[in-house]
Amino acid sequence: MDPKLTEVSQYFERFKAACVREDIDTSANLLSQLKVSLTSFRSLPPLFEVTPNSVQELTIARDIYEHAVLLSVKMGDQDAFERDFFQLKPYYTDARKRLPPSPQEHMILGLNLLRLLVQNRIAEFHTELELLPAESLEDPCIKHAVELEQSFMEGAYNRVLTAKQTVPNQSYDYFMDLLAKTVRDEISGCSEKAYDYLSINDARQMLLFSSDNELLQYINEEHPEWEIKDGSVVFQKAKETAPCKEIPSLQLINQTLSYARELERIV
Amino acid sequence: MAATMVSSAGGLLAMLNESHPLLKQQALQNLNNYVDQFWPEISTSVTIIESLYEDEEFDQNQRQLAALLVSKVFYYLGELNDSLSYALGAGSLFDVSEDSDYVHTLLAKAIDEYASLKTKAIESSADAESIDPRLEAIVERMLDKCIADGKYQQAMGIAIECRRLDKLEEAITRSDNVHGTLSYCIGVSHCFINRREYRCEVLSLLVNVYQKLPSPDYLSICQCLMFLDEPEGVASILEKLLRSDNKDDALLAFQIAFDLVENEHQAFLLNVRDRLPTPKSQPLESANPRSAEPVSGETEPSTASEDVPMAEGASVSSTSAPEIDKSEETYSERLTKIKGILSGETSIQLTLQFLYSHNKSDLLILKAIKQSVEMRNSVCHSATIYSNAIMHAGTTVDTFLRENLDWLSRATNWAKFSATAGLGVIHRGHLQQGRSLMAPYLPQGGAGGGGSPYSEGGALYALGLIHANHGEGIKQFLRDSLRSTNVEVIQHGACLGLGLAALGTADEDIYDDIKSVLYTDSAVAGEAAGIGMGLLMVGTASEKASEMLAYAHETQHEKIIRGLALGIALTVYGREEEADTLIEQMTRDQDPILRYGGMYALALAYGGTANNKAIRQLLHFAVSDVSDDVRRTAVLALGFVMYSEPEQTPRIVSLLSESYNPHVRYGAALAVGISCAGTGLSEAISLLEPLTSDVVDFVRQGALIAMAMVMVQMNEASDSRVGTFRRQLEKIILDKHEDTMSKMGAILASGILDAGGRNVTIRLLSKTKHDKITAVVGLAVFSQFWYWYPLIYFISLSFSATAFIGLNYDLKVPKFDFISNAKPSLFEYPKPTIVPTTTSAVKLPTAVLSTSAKATKARAKKDAEQKANTEKAAAAGEPSTSTNSGKGKSTEKDGDSMQVDTPPEKKAEPEPSFELVTNPARVVPSQEKYIKFMEDSRYVPVKLAPSGFVLLRDLKPTEPEVLSLTDAPSSTNATRAAAAAGLGAGGQQAMAVDDEPQPPQPFEYTS
Repeated sequence: MDPKLTEVSQYFERFKAACVREDIDTSANLLSQLKVSLTSFRSLPPLFEVTPNSVQELTIARDIYEHAVLLSVKMGDQDAFERDFFQLKPYYTDARKRLPPSPQEHMILGLNLLRLLVQNRIAEFHTELELLPAESLEDPCIKHAVELEQSFMEGAYNRVLTAKQTVPNQSYDYFMDLLAKTVRDEISGCSEKAYDYLSINDARQMLLFSSDNELLQYINEEHPEWEIKDGSVVFQKAKETAPCKEIPSLQLINQTLSYARELERIV
Repeated sequence: MAATMVSSAGGLLAMLNESHPLLKQQALQNLNNYVDQFWPEISTSVTIIESLYEDEEFDQNQRQLAALLVSKVFYYLGELNDSLSYALGAGSLFDVSEDSDYVHTLLAKAIDEYASLKTKAIESSADAESIDPRLEAIVERMLDKCIADGKYQQAMGIAIECRRLDKLEEAITRSDNVHGTLSYCIGVSHCFINRREYRCEVLSLLVNVYQKLPSPDYLSICQCLMFLDEPEGVASILEKLLRSDNKDDALLAFQIAFDLVENEHQAFLLNVRDRLPTPKSQPLESANPRSAEPVSGETEPSTASEDVPMAEGASVSSTSAPEIDKSEETYSERLTKIKGILSGETSIQLTLQFLYSHNKSDLLILKAIKQSVEMRNSVCHSATIYSNAIMHAGTTVDTFLRENLDWLSRATNWAKFSATAGLGVIHRGHLQQGRSLMAPYLPQGGAGGGGSPYSEGGALYALGLIHANHGEGIKQFLRDSLRSTNVEVIQHGACLGLGLAALGTADEDIYDDIKSVLYTDSAVAGEAAGIGMGLLMVGTASEKASEMLAYAHETQHEKIIRGLALGIALTVYGREEEADTLIEQMTRDQDPILRYGGMYALALAYGGTANNKAIRQLLHFAVSDVSDDVRRTAVLALGFVMYSEPEQTPRIVSLLSESYNPHVRYGAALAVGISCAGTGLSEAISLLEPLTSDVVDFVRQGALIAMAMVMVQMNEASDSRVGTFRRQLEKIILDKHEDTMSKMGAILASGILDAGGRNVTIRLLSKTKHDKITAVVGLAVFSQFWYWYPLIYFISLSFSATAFIGLNYDLKVPKFDFISNAKPSLFEYPKPTIVPTTTSAVKLPTAVLSTSAKATKARAKKDAEQKANTEKAAAAGEPSTSTNSGKGKSTEKDGDSMQVDTPPEKKAEPEPSFELVTNPARVVPSQEKYIKFMEDSRYVPVKLAPSGFVLLRDLKPTEPEVLSLTDAPSSTNATRAAAAAGLGAGGQQAMAVDDEPQPPQPFEYTS
């Protein structure tokens, strides 16, 4: 076996151990070293050179990135998640023909979908979905994300929140928590548009808070522009509605006609 | 491998965000490899890469890589400016030798950018330091690469564009074929350099390079020097060549002189001539051929033997001078010759002889016109006279006038003026005898003479036309005539004549004379004075222009303003951006006539440059000015700006030719006519064709004239539309109900179509691609005929003979053959018209048997033959009497063309694919590419030119030469005049009554 590969796999073992220990700092350091050493493998994307060890190399690289993704979930670092996921992705798509499929694949893809949902990047969510083969959609992890999205779109926010109980994997919890917040943001955005004001009670129910305090705290943090007045929340809608400009249609028509007339005259 | 292509750059992009620099590097490198494929994905993250480039802590090399990557992405996004600025950041990573679209595009962009920066820096005279050194480095790398790869033309192009004269010089000197590259460079500098100043810089550099060469190409150097207006240089080169012992060098000097003359830059030529030392040999030697006899070409062949310098030198020096003087002798003799050439006399005389001996004008056309034109219609009457003059321009054949004296006598007043002036066109270039020819009409000093002022004025104008641009001898006489009269018609003629004779000489005294006429504030004389001043000052951009402008504001007469406006325009001829202030001043004037002059100023200042700015300005005026005159002129002026690229003109004016405004249509027609003159360009004809049947009469007129200008010298074999056009002209002339305007256009068009006995074409560029100043000025003033018909004659200035005239060392025309490698029918003269049968008007469809058709055809042919023969016998004098080869050949040719007329079934043998032509020969422009010299010929041309004057090196100097073209028109003229004296006697009586133009008095001629 290639000495480099051995070295990498040793490091990888240490990295896995650190992950299990939940020793975030060590594992992050190890990961970074691993990534650097991966760059010397020429069989990895995007080069895909065929070397005797290419299958092993690809496999170990994929494993490393899968762990990196999971680590980033643990760290709650969405940027790192995105980064690692994108680097992992070629192993799923482009290297599909050279490697046995990974057992983690669907779980990670599902996680990514969830992340997109949380970040409210619906377009990308659907793009990712379209890229998946039909049989993957049957996978519980993917299905979970898809259902969530549907409920989210329908506005059945309560279903979204209850889905938290049925997560297929515990690493989903992180995103499910975040999702609750996304849902709340969505609701508050809607209410802002829909109502001039709401009683605190209604608002609490609407925003799915269990207590008024939570509500007030939320308003302070997220929407300082809302006013609390006489037991109701006043949305400053009037401020926003800037008078939309009227199109000076008559003037435009006149101008166009005169241009046309002059053009006629010139040529 | 293909199976494992990457499907997305997402992974690599994600890698860019990694914190470890090694990972970023890896990502950058990979992205750079895949950017061609994944640029859409990368473009979304381009900001990240940009920040990498700007990251000071990042490794230098990596930063450059990032810059290169960003540059590529921007390139794909079409943001070339951003792309370029990042490519500059990429430094050496940007590989100019890479063969990819990206590199090609960016290089082009870089060079453009650099060139425009350089130009701007120079134009605003700011220091060039503001240019990004990195940009400069790229361009220099590119230039070095081009030179190293042997792509010298590219390198030169870039260097010129970027104003890097140092690099230009390097490219030229390092190229493997220095002469080739130099001539290429000259061509380029004329076609593509818009700024005159800069062109001068380039040319002076070229001259430098030329002079450093071991075997300089003097022909090209002198052309450059002429453009740079450095007569000293030319003079010293000529002197050097003349001093040489080698006869070939002298031939070369003569050739240079002829080439310079062809550019018609009178002031420059005179300068060169004056700088050459005067031949200081015995009076016997120098004075003899020049002053003693009026026509130097007349007696010289008899006295001058084969080896003139040797023989004569020996005879003279043996008596008076020692042996050493022999070379001095040769030298001074050569000097005399070259001065003759430089003064233009030699070439004018040879052209005159050629045009005379090869005259093929078809009098029947004129006769038909004359008969169909109504007597009372004076416009058509004088149009016929104009047409005759144009048809015979330079041929000295005035048979038609002589035969129709009665008819001619209908011309009164100004018509008489132009009838007399027409003689000047016919005798154009007849320098020696011009004065005596016109003598009967000229104002008689003191006694008053009793002649009509109109014919006197016309005669002065005619003298100007005869001596156009070569007025050394006649200037004084014209000045005297101008000063001694206060009749405005005579002043009119004299001003025009003076302007023509002293074209471009900027003679202060003459200017003052004309100015005093202008200040009399007489409308008729003032107009001519304005034009005359302009002609005098052509291309000098002198201060006089503002003086003229001031007077134009002062005077009340529109005619004077118009004359001045044109005059001012003439002064800025060819000055390009130097003229901008004046143009600006004129085009912003309140007075439409001055704006109209501004259009001419634009046209002439930027003539033949195809300058974009000028075109834009003209197009703007063409559509936006309130005055129709200005708009018409603006469109017309486009023709002048574009004449160096005639193919472009039809495209540019095609929209304007469909304008609702007839004036604009008229201008479009003439613009095409001017810029495509003599080219026979198919697009031009297609554009003009619909205009010849326009609804407005004057548009038809313009289109007919323009069409004739385009088709001049073409025959039906090369474009069938020529035949159609000729028939159309005939129809318009014969049609009783046609408007006078278009009829006049048709008559003039027939004249132009067969101009100069069909041996001339309209040419605005010389063979060396310089502007022919006389020609351009001639056309510019000609286009003014809208207001003043006598100005039509100015078109004769733009005629140049289409001839190959080979000359030997003695400047004689030896007989030798060369090949025209094309079917003879393609370029032969148009067939002579058949006698118009009166019955042909009846268009009844009658059944005619084929045999009888043949019979009538044969009969008609016979008639024509007879007619032509009798005509010739009566008019031209029997050619055989003058017994010379040139004439003999032309009669043979007559026979040929007759044979062509015979029914096709008779000539069974196919047409030969080439023909032998004999020096001097008619070579039409389109024929030039078929001309070949025979290898075993006795004469070898000094310069391989298919037309024009070419000096020939004689390979067998000891054998006797056979000369042709020795028949000076003057000699036959004399006999002819004598013959015509009897004929004219009847007319003379009639003349005594109403004082009509008389035929020239038979003058005494002794030789």
